[in-house]
Amino acid sequence: MTPALLAVLGLLLAGPAPALLGRATWPLRAPRAGVVLWQALALAAVLAIVGTGISASLWLIQVEDPSWWRILGHSALMALTLVVLVRLAWSTARVARVTRARRRRHRELVDMLADRSGTEPELRILAAPTPMAYCLPGVRKNRVVVSRGAMRQLDPAEVAAVLAHEHAHVRARHDLVLESFAALHAAFPRGTRSEVPLRQSQLLVELLADDAARARTGALPLARALVALAGQTPPAAALAAGADASTTRLRLERLATPRGGRCAAVCAYVAAAAILVVPTLFAGIPVLTQMWATLR
Amino acid sequence: MCTTDCSYDGNVVRQPMPRLGDLEREVMDRLWDADGPRTVREVYDDLVAERDLAYTTVMTVLDRLAGKRMVTRTRDGRAYRYSPTHSRAELTAELMHEALSVERLDRTAALIHFAGRVTPEEAAALQEALARLQRENGP
Repeated sequence: MTPALLAVLGLLLAGPAPALLGRATWPLRAPRAGVVLWQALALAAVLAIVGTGISASLWLIQVEDPSWWRILGHSALMALTLVVLVRLAWSTARVARVTRARRRRHRELVDMLADRSGTEPELRILAAPTPMAYCLPGVRKNRVVVSRGAMRQLDPAEVAAVLAHEHAHVRARHDLVLESFAALHAAFPRGTRSEVPLRQSQLLVELLADDAARARTGALPLARALVALAGQTPPAAALAAGADASTTRLRLERLATPRGGRCAAVCAYVAAAAILVVPTLFAGIPVLTQMWATLR
Repeated sequence: MCTTDCSYDGNVVRQPMPRLGDLEREVMDRLWDADGPRTVREVYDDLVAERDLAYTTVMTVLDRLAGKRMVTRTRDGRAYRYSPTHSRAELTAELMHEALSVERLDRTAALIHFAGRVTPEEAAALQEALARLQRENGP
């Protein structure tokens, strides 16, 4: 009973649930709750998949004097579960290592080539005509890089909006959110994984940073900066711009509407808690007691 | 912590203790402008004309730069000579390539960009949406 329940739950959480949540528009009004719900969904899916493997393999040998095929099935399921766990751990470590190496090298280049600005300690002005702005997250080593081309396009209020947006990323460690979803995405083979959670988390952390910047500088400077920096792209880079363009449009349209979404946020937090707690109670506890019984 | 540049407004005291990061930058600039590999002593003599600095500090800075593979060390008799591993233009090209490369989904988010890339048509649509927003929100 338990293995079947967990398997159904795992399939639901890995397939239809992300597809449904990915199409929903309410997370755009409550991005923080949206991120939490995506994290809960991902964690619950992993727990359900691992739980299915363990409970099914234990169920196979819950008989007097199990036959050879039951023992074989038991071992195969345990091995498969172990493979999933090892892949997750390996992928997390690899993403963390590669990201940090790339970021460190880039920070070193920025420190050698870009100029400090007088007022903001982590702001670096890069002598490049291409308008661009980005941040390099990190504990006490974060940098916000703005090119001279971007500085020329932006008035002081717009620069302040860009900085407030990037500081929000750095302060709230949005990079760790993105990293965890990237690791999850990389842990599962092509065909079994969906790119919706990673795409959605990327969008939602942008919205979170927009909200922080909007609270500090108002919506208009942020909207102007967004259009100025998004519109000015060299043609060569516009090739793969499809997803980015819709993201930018979405952010802009969102700035035109008043903030709100308290209701959606509460619902999302309740749903996140339910996704994690209810399956754990219904399916997890029988597995644990079964494991305990088998071990004894 | 901000000990040097933050209070900088033109007429303040001479910066007494420059940060290592700032010194690294300055040393790199000297090496890039030099016509060949330099010894620690040469770099030190160059820098000490303008600021208070210990010889060992320059040694430390060059050591750190070598650790980051920003400079290459070659033996010349009893001393080491240092030269930039890459030219300023090469490093700039590397930086711009990394900053402007379109992030594939499986690439990690080492850099988080403020705004995405758009096509010219999409840029026009964005301009229109911004104009609407500005009309609705007053001047």
